[in-house]
Amino acid sequence: MVAQASEIPVPNIEELFRPTHDERARQGMVSFIRKLAIIDMRRALKEDYESRIEPRLDREGRKPADWQTIEKAMQQEHIFRFYSAVRYNAQEMCYLSVQPAVERALPAMVGLARDLAVRNPAGGSLRLNPDLELPKYITALDVHLTPGWVHSEHTADDVAQGAVVSFGGKVFTGQHPYRKRPGVVGESIAYWIGKKYPNFAPRRILDLGTTSGKNLLPYCTAFPQAEVHGIDVAAPVLRYGHALAEHEGLAAHFSQQNAEQTDFPDGHFDLIVSSFFFHEVALKATRKILAECKRLLAPGGLMVHMELPDEASVSPYENFFWNWDTHNNNEPWYTAFRAEDPLALCAAAGFDAARSFKLHIPDIATFGEERHARFMRGELPSPAHGAGGWFVFGAERG
Amino acid sequence: MNDTPADQVRLPRETKGKRPRFFDDPAIDQMMTFMLELTTEVAVLRERMDTVERLLEERGSVTRAAIEAYQPSAAVEAERNAWREAYLKRIYRMHPPV
Repeated sequence: MVAQASEIPVPNIEELFRPTHDERARQGMVSFIRKLAIIDMRRALKEDYESRIEPRLDREGRKPADWQTIEKAMQQEHIFRFYSAVRYNAQEMCYLSVQPAVERALPAMVGLARDLAVRNPAGGSLRLNPDLELPKYITALDVHLTPGWVHSEHTADDVAQGAVVSFGGKVFTGQHPYRKRPGVVGESIAYWIGKKYPNFAPRRILDLGTTSGKNLLPYCTAFPQAEVHGIDVAAPVLRYGHALAEHEGLAAHFSQQNAEQTDFPDGHFDLIVSSFFFHEVALKATRKILAECKRLLAPGGLMVHMELPDEASVSPYENFFWNWDTHNNNEPWYTAFRAEDPLALCAAAGFDAARSFKLHIPDIATFGEERHARFMRGELPSPAHGAGGWFVFGAERG
Repeated sequence: MNDTPADQVRLPRETKGKRPRFFDDPAIDQMMTFMLELTTEVAVLRERMDTVERLLEERGSVTRAAIEAYQPSAAVEAERNAWREAYLKRIYRMHPPV
């Protein structure tokens, strides 16, 4: 929901982040090192594979290769080792480059978030559960090489990890051609839903693993009549996201819950979404979460999850590329999740196979509305995941 | 609940989880970290110098406070981005595969 414009402007928690001249310069450079790895070196790696390594595998009788064969061959190559080293270090540097400024801003950020959680000037809410047990797949490793990940609490009412993830993320995507603005995934899904189901008017929307609601807030604007909820197990990112939403005048309801078992009543939501979520949770939890989606979805409701394309949807080379993160970006469930067919996961959770789907949809910020209309008419394909498109799966509930 | 006062929080700089090794000699993995950090620090110095030069051109004098307060225009930021891109291209010059 979009709240009435308030007389007194609500301070922006992100404006409390004030990096020094040199810290800003460092963040700017790190964005380019990240781009060097994920765009330029990635392209060089693929070219080298196709022109030199694949023909060699062919000569050795090891083609057509599965992704594991490709990975094994590539691990011996200089180009892969340097690509990996640059990518790994750039990832760490994204977070390291913002931490000092977050530390300095922390007292003011905590104070503001605390105040907004009491006042809710935009009409949203923050509901925390200090007794919630954090799943092991959250606490075992620092996912994405983010020290402290989303859940660590360093002080009372802490928001630090929310700030580290948000600002580190801006450095991470700073020079990425297809990550134009925060929330672009939510924006792209909401836009696609609007075109695909023009009469769909959800009363309540739920975003799973919302962290700070970056991909939740676009739904407030896309469906202004809806009551919008985001859940996550980690309090620091929820506090931070709630403060951001209140500043933006968006009434979003954040609550600290495990998506495997929420406290919402049956059939409470017309639209359930998530982005970048399932590959971070244990496969057993994924099955439970999809069953929970089935319980929470009202008749006529819709579920759309943006995820990594599953193994069967892309080439062996692309599988090798995506699965890099499993061991090198502390995302242990990545490969196991991608090996599953999302349609089979939906079916196992009780969704009608005939009404389940998986497809690539265009990134609205880079694809544009005119080309999107042609995509909807079947005249243009969507770009691939992460290269101008996003992979989604889900189901309609009959 | 953690009762460290907010103004005394020091965030963890190290990641929980096993660090992968990409090279046969782990010293090269370590050297890559040194290299990339140094690459970044040179760029930071260069940008500070660029700020000093621009302030001198605009005002004829410079103070540390003016450097801190300097807000690059979109045009300056675009010039800096072009420099960053070219700078990295000069450094990360891969040998042809053998």
